[in-house]
This record gives sequence, C-alpha cells and structure tokens, in this order.
Amino acid sequence: MLVIIIMVATFAVLNFGCSRSGGMDSDDRDDSISFDINDPKIKERLGDDDGYAFAIMYGADIHGSLETCG
Amino acid sequence: MGGLARSVSYIKAFKQRSNTEVPTLVVDAGNLFTDDRFSADQLPAEVMTKNKWVVKGYGDFHHDAANISYNDLPYLTELFKKDGYDKRLSDYPFMDRLISANVQPTDDQHRTPIPYVIREITLKRGNPGQRLRIGIVGLTEGKPTSPTESQDVYAGYRVSDPFEAARKVLPELKQKSDFIIALAYMPLDKAQRLATENSEIDTIIGARQTSNMDEPQHFSRATITYAFNQTKYLGELRVYVKGDGTIENQLNRYVALDSVIPDDNGAEEVVTSAHTEFTNEQNQAAQASQEARPINPSPILGGDSPYVGVDTCAGCHQKEHDIWVTTRHSHAMATLEKKSEQFDNECVRCHVVGYQRGGFQTLYTTPQFANVQCEECHGPGRQHASNPGKGYGFVATPVGCMQCHKEPNDPDFNFAVYWPKIKH
Repeated sequence: MLVIIIMVATFAVLNFGCSRSGGMDSDDRDDSISFDINDPKIKERLGDDDGYAFAIMYGADIHGSLETCG
Repeated sequence: MGGLARSVSYIKAFKQRSNTEVPTLVVDAGNLFTDDRFSADQLPAEVMTKNKWVVKGYGDFHHDAANISYNDLPYLTELFKKDGYDKRLSDYPFMDRLISANVQPTDDQHRTPIPYVIREITLKRGNPGQRLRIGIVGLTEGKPTSPTESQDVYAGYRVSDPFEAARKVLPELKQKSDFIIALAYMPLDKAQRLATENSEIDTIIGARQTSNMDEPQHFSRATITYAFNQTKYLGELRVYVKGDGTIENQLNRYVALDSVIPDDNGAEEVVTSAHTEFTNEQNQAAQASQEARPINPSPILGGDSPYVGVDTCAGCHQKEHDIWVTTRHSHAMATLEKKSEQFDNECVRCHVVGYQRGGFQTLYTTPQFANVQCEECHGPGRQHASNPGKGYGFVATPVGCMQCHKEPNDPDFNFAVYWPKIKH
C-alpha cells in the first residue's frame, strides 16, 4: 500500500506539482468551451486545419473597451 | 462585433479543433488603453477604471504581450509609477507583458518598459519535439500632431526613434530567439521600412486604427499584417514548419467576431464586472457634475448651446419630424441603454447631437440632446431657428453619414440601402 501511495504521489508531483517554467507548454489554462465546435457556422469561422505548426492571434486598438458599442 | 468574450471563445475553439496540438500565442499591437479626456497629466477616475479592467482581462485570459503605443502612455504613467509598482504587478501580472523598445520615462519616478518578451513553445507538427523561442518586441511612432509631425514627449514618457531602437535591440533579441515578431504601432510605410532595415524580423504585426483586411505583404524576410480596428475581426497568422524545422510559410486570416461566436463565460464575467464598475463611476461623475453646475433645461432658445433640439425643429418641420420618429436615429440612445452603455463616451458620441461641440454632455445635464436628431446631420440650428431662412441644413452625403457609419462601427453600411430608411 505504501509503495502505491508513494507512486501515486510521485506521479502527481511530476505531472501537476511543478512550478511554471515560463514557457507556454506548462500553462494551466482553462481551455474548456461550452459550445459545439462542429456547428457548421463555427466550422466556417475556424477554416480548415491545414497543418499549421503554430499560430499567432492578434488584435489592436481596443482603446480601453473590452466590449464594443451598440 | 468584437469584444474580449468572443475573442477568448474563438481562440479556445481554435485550439480544441486541432486537439491542442498547435501552440497559440495571443498578442496586441497597441492602443490597449483609452486616453479619453486626459488633461493636466491626469485621467478621470472612470477612465482609469476602464483601463484597469483591460489589464486584468488581458492577463486573466493569457495574452502573451501587448505593445505600448502613444495612446497608452497616460495610463502607463499610472501603472509604471515606481511607488507601489510591486503591489500593482502582483495584482495585475499582465503589466510585465506590456512591452516597448522605444518608450522611456522622462523622470526617475517611473519604470522603463521591457523591450521584448520571449515565449517558448514545443512543436507537435512540422518538426515534432522542436522547441522554438519566439521573441516579441514592441515599437511605436510618436503621437501624431499633423500628417507629417509627431509629439515625442507625451504623458511623462518619451517616444524615441523606432528605427534606431529596432537596430539596437533586434541583434540582441535574435541571439535569444528563433522567430521574431515585431508589434508596430505605425502606418504601413513605416512598417515596410522597419522590415527592410531589419532582416532579423520574421513577422510585423502593425496597427493604427485601420480597418483594411489586406493580404500580408512581404518585405525583406518579414511578413507584414495589420490588426483590425477595435479587434472586431481577430487576426490569425498561421505558421507552417518543414520537417527540418525551418519556417515554410505564413498565412493570414481575419476572423469576424460576430454573434456566430458565443461569448466565453469566464471572459463575459470579467466584461460584465468591468462594465458595472465603469457605469457606476460614470454615473457618479455625471451626477457630481450636475450638482456642481446645475443646468436648467430652460426654454431651449434661451440656452447657451448652438443646438436647439428636435422639438424646436418640429415646430416648423413637422412632416420631417414625423418621419424621423420612425427611424432608428430617433431612439439611438435606447440602443445604448439596452446594453448600459449610455455613459460610455466612446459609444455615446454617435448616438446624440453635438457631442463635444456644445450639444450633448450627459443624460443628466443635457437629455434634450440625446438621440441622433436633426442637427447632428444638418448642423447647429440656433441661428436658423431665431432667423429662419434658406441656406441652412445642407448635408453632404454620404460623407456626412460616414462620420459615424464608418467601417469599424458599421461595416455593412451602404448609403443606397440606408438612405431610403431616413429620407425626408
């Protein structure tokens, strides 16, 4: 039993207990979504997955507004 | 269109669609904060509140970097005060992702922003297992004062020559990075010069309140793309990597952040909290201003404003007035009130008469100038009302309409379709 507990504890520390390295891969981001990404309109927005290796999302000029008018 | 809640939602969907195999960075090319009503070296309290929520929201939802542009400097002066900096940084960790290579304080009471950040990613496609260090550097032009001149000192910060700063910082960044993104708040010709003079740059993401969605341009080694004003369309730059680890290609897309994209619940909570706090403060400020200088809505013709309001116009132009009341112009303020945006100056200016031109101030002080009334298009009518005659009221269409119905606000505006709806 002790061996199992130690193994489980070791596994937990290795996988979840380490501090962030500062790199993106270690971020504990909440990426859950509450809608269907296979909805045809959402799929159209997402475009084809054509093998890109990484992506940069960008914007600008929100000028203090987290939402837009009207 | 646009908004943090949709943007966050789309980015999450994008990652999930590729089974989270694709590392995704999120950056902002500048003009993150409002400098609305900045005067005497201070921003109004409610404007500070608005900006504070942007720092929080962008941090909570994992933006990797934001460029500091000249518009951001009034709020930066508050954020980057040495006094209390560590506490603010602990409250808003995103502060250390605000970057600029050519913005420095003019005194020793403020911190100098870091010139760049480096993010590490591990590829799962192209050359799986390869680690890439992505350097992101920030550059801005000075605050334009005319088409050809700019103000280099603004809000206690100096904006130095971005080209000289780039030449200085990029060789150092190149040694630490495998891929360099320059966030550049400047017009296209300057971004092109940046690319031509600095072969270290792989991608320039530009911004300057533009609403063009052009194909990426290529100068020297760099790809240049521009962010859409107010992020109503989210820029998406896809990077393809060969099996040997070299960059094969970059493709750009603009994603409409419209009602097809549901709001992210967590981000929506932040937006709602920001909205509530800002609205309350605006409300208090408006009430305080009313108490300090009560305005008697006395007979309209007896006031100081060059505007007289729709009721006076209707006295002689009843037929036109009857048409107006059937249009959306006549309840433009209600559109804002539905979203509790009636105190947000960024929105209000296009829903009233004569904003900042002697007409509408706030709903408390000048309710008679709410909604898009006759004089918003025809011009201030006081003189005409006291001495009626021809020669008043010409509207240059469609140019006059496009003061508000410009692309970022109303991308679907079509004069031929809209005009019959208000014709009188």
